[in-house]
Amino acid sequence: MRIDQIVLGTAVCLLLATTPGDGRGQTAGIKTGMPSPKRHSPTAKADPAGDATGLIEVKQSDLLQKPTKDNWVSYNGDYTGRRYSALTQITPANVSHLVVKWVFHTQEAGPLEMTPVVVAGVMFITAGNDAYALDAETGKQIWHHARAVTEGLIDDASSHHNRGVAILGTRIYMETDNAHLLCLDARSGNLIWDVPYATGNRNYGATSAPLIVKDKVLVGTSGGDDGVRGFLAAFDVQTGKEMWRFWTIPGPGEFGNDSWPGDAYMHGGGTTWMPGTYDPELNTVYWGTGNPSPDYDGSVRPGDDLYTSCLVALDPDTGKLKWYFQFTPHNMYDYDSVQTPVLVNANFHGRPRKLIVTAQRNGFLYILDRTNGKYLYSRKFISNLNWAKGMDEHGRPISAGLTPDEKGVLVCPSQDGATNWYSPSYNEATHMFYFRSLEACNIYTAKTTPFEEGRTYYSTGLRRPLGEIGKGYIDAFSLDKLDFAWRDRLIGPTFAWAGVMSTATGLVAFGDDAQNFVIVDGRTGAPLWHISLGQAIRASPMSYAVRGKQYFAVATGSGDLFSFALP
Amino acid sequence: MTHLKGGRWANLWVSAGLFLLAGMSMMAQEQGRGDAQGAGEFAINCANCHGSDGQGAKAPSLTAPNIVALSNAELIRVVHDGVSGGMPSFAQLGDANIVSVVRYLRTLQGQGDMVGPAAATGDVAAGRALYFGKAQCSSCHMIQGKGGFIASDLTAYGRSHAANAIAKAIVTPDNPVAPDARVVEVRTKTGKKLTGVVRNEDNFDMVLQTEDGRFHFLAQSDLIDVHRTDHSLMPQDYGRRLTPAELNNIASFLIVAGQTTPAEPLPPGRRHGGGR
Ligand code: HEC
Ligand code: HEC
Repeated sequence: MRIDQIVLGTAVCLLLATTPGDGRGQTAGIKTGMPSPKRHSPTAKADPAGDATGLIEVKQSDLLQKPTKDNWVSYNGDYTGRRYSALTQITPANVSHLVVKWVFHTQEAGPLEMTPVVVAGVMFITAGNDAYALDAETGKQIWHHARAVTEGLIDDASSHHNRGVAILGTRIYMETDNAHLLCLDARSGNLIWDVPYATGNRNYGATSAPLIVKDKVLVGTSGGDDGVRGFLAAFDVQTGKEMWRFWTIPGPGEFGNDSWPGDAYMHGGGTTWMPGTYDPELNTVYWGTGNPSPDYDGSVRPGDDLYTSCLVALDPDTGKLKWYFQFTPHNMYDYDSVQTPVLVNANFHGRPRKLIVTAQRNGFLYILDRTNGKYLYSRKFISNLNWAKGMDEHGRPISAGLTPDEKGVLVCPSQDGATNWYSPSYNEATHMFYFRSLEACNIYTAKTTPFEEGRTYYSTGLRRPLGEIGKGYIDAFSLDKLDFAWRDRLIGPTFAWAGVMSTATGLVAFGDDAQNFVIVDGRTGAPLWHISLGQAIRASPMSYAVRGKQYFAVATGSGDLFSFALP
Repeated sequence: MTHLKGGRWANLWVSAGLFLLAGMSMMAQEQGRGDAQGAGEFAINCANCHGSDGQGAKAPSLTAPNIVALSNAELIRVVHDGVSGGMPSFAQLGDANIVSVVRYLRTLQGQGDMVGPAAATGDVAAGRALYFGKAQCSSCHMIQGKGGFIASDLTAYGRSHAANAIAKAIVTPDNPVAPDARVVEVRTKTGKKLTGVVRNEDNFDMVLQTEDGRFHFLAQSDLIDVHRTDHSLMPQDYGRRLTPAELNNIASFLIVAGQTTPAEPLPPGRRHGGGR
């Protein structure tokens, strides 16, 4: 018997067992032929084929939608970087009924750090240099664009991490491990164009997801520990033509170049390895930059080392710098500033303000005025912090003068940072900012070493203080009270690099340090539901809906993707 | 069947990065070896898994379009190194035998008329104009990043197909139809009729893509009728609509496109094609 006959036969048998109903959304459970209680989702469409499910045609207005609802159109969901979903089907009252809907396994991939993008019931994911389109309701593969990972890369790029796709129209965009920007047809997975965008130093790589702003797709690179010169570049979404490039390390004659004697600027780091955020009203993109290179040896880069460890505000049309704010001047501890700069409109000291809220790897949470980059507030969020003695009134940290040397000096937080690239979330319902933090220290050593292509450029190393075990937390900072509302310790064997998201019903979802995917009450931190996924989570979750059903999805450390929903 | 010239195969060895020296000296002996050698090696080493006609048995068909699309160098590498999914390495056969087997495999694929890098004897510019114009190939097939999405990307096609094989594929399509390319017509319980191509299917669900690009996520239990036709969306009448010269021009365009577009790096044992 041929396969098609088998399938037809099965379809007929199943029909007999099925009560009349329209669409998968309503007959889920019955169609498997398994006994299963019948449930009707009140919001499910009567004629599922009558809605827009399955049609990929993303407009600018879809990208501008905030907060995100059924679709999740970019790495952080919407341009604000809040990683906040307006979906309300899953609530504190019913979240304990969540079940796994499906698991998708990516081939030949290491830990996944990506966030899926979902449009019209189609999910787009990446694993290494591969891209996949999946049926977001079943996890079944629609297409797979296979592309070999690149051999001979170093450091982060050699792990082939990738954080996902950007989407516009009928096209998706992704970065490859060797810093090519690919444009694929979202309906077939076929390659439309392939633009290598980081040349001249083979230590460049890319691990991020692109960000689309108007008619341009913005990409950065990795390699900030390996002596590359950081930049953010914008390409025409249609043609792939480069429109502008902002170098994060000023060249000769430019403001800030005094930190970079000779050709040091060519190896100064400051890479742009996470997606930024965008305010359409202010016509500004906000992008975090990485640590200076070499990491621990500050002697070869005197001064502040602009624009490393900064937030840069750029004009998306021209790439011109509007302002910058530096979190860690003359950084010797690998404190990148690529953590999502979250755009929040909220009252600050009683006045509605356009703010940026960001928890930084250096251990401080900052609030800035995003119209001009002015410092408004900061707060230390870990107890172990010794690299700075405090903060001056402009938000410049007062250095404690800890300089790594050949013997080693104890610095807190550790190189892994008080927080890191895993996503934070700002919740409109609770007015709280949620993020993961880590209490740990390192002994940093430094030794001047020349830059060499093909090798990392840390200029020596690190060790852990004897017997120290890092402690992970989820923190909730209230913007109303300007204080922490709660802080939950994450008990478990390994610190997970897993981000946080939140929803309009006040749910906060994240991976903990014991391979659990957890949902807590955002007001109190009280756990509401959890499930062990049998593998560490190294990615940030998201939420989407298809035909009236809300899902949570999260990628995991052994190349899987899980999707959860109410039964 | 024309014999392949040693020089081309010698280049392949080099480009496959294998046996640089052995490859050169082997080519001398290679002259004069007939198909019999390859056929014999295939019967002993490959037929038990891939079928004696290469159409597939325990292991997948070697005449499927995506395998045909592999370059000679890629085939040589596959046979030499094996593939993680259950395809053993045949390095022990020795270089000469591997070449013979691959050469024979090409004849099983109907590619035996391919001599050297496929020759483009037609007018490439006219072929391009036909592809994007009167013949409307681009409404279904992407090439070099331009064109449709419902059929396979033809960018690499001309890399492994000779002009007459391409012309044949155009005028006698679906011979036989690739299972995942067939046009499928379904009727749902609500009376909706859809015609498209199946992108995923199991006992429970079906993803059907219609020509507007839309994916329809269907439950098998909601389908009253599923009709699997014996043809793809590829028009059947190009033999009447295009002259032999026009066909040759299109073939030349595909060959030149294939040979001038850098190949995307493929993971070992995997390939693109078929819109998947
Ligand atoms: C023990 C069974 C077995 C034998 C014997 C065998 N193969 Fe395979 N072959 C496979 C399997 C299984 C695959 C599919 C591997 C995959 O795609 O993961 C395969 C795949 C292939 C492919 C496709 C590779 C690709 O890139 O998808 C080619 C070409 C091939 N075999 C040629 C041959 C030739 C020529 C011989 C004889 C020299 C041979 N095989 C002998 C099992 C076998
Ligand atoms: C209405 C859509 C449509 C048009 C127009 C069309 N094709 Fe096709 N073609 C298909 C489909 C569908 C297939 C079978 C599956 C596949 O390759 O996607 C196919 C198959 C092919 C194949 C075989 C591919 C393989 O891998 O075996 C070639 C070659 C081809 N077409 C070339 C052309 C050329 C050249 C033209 C213009 C003269 C053309 N097609 C026009 C839809 C179309």
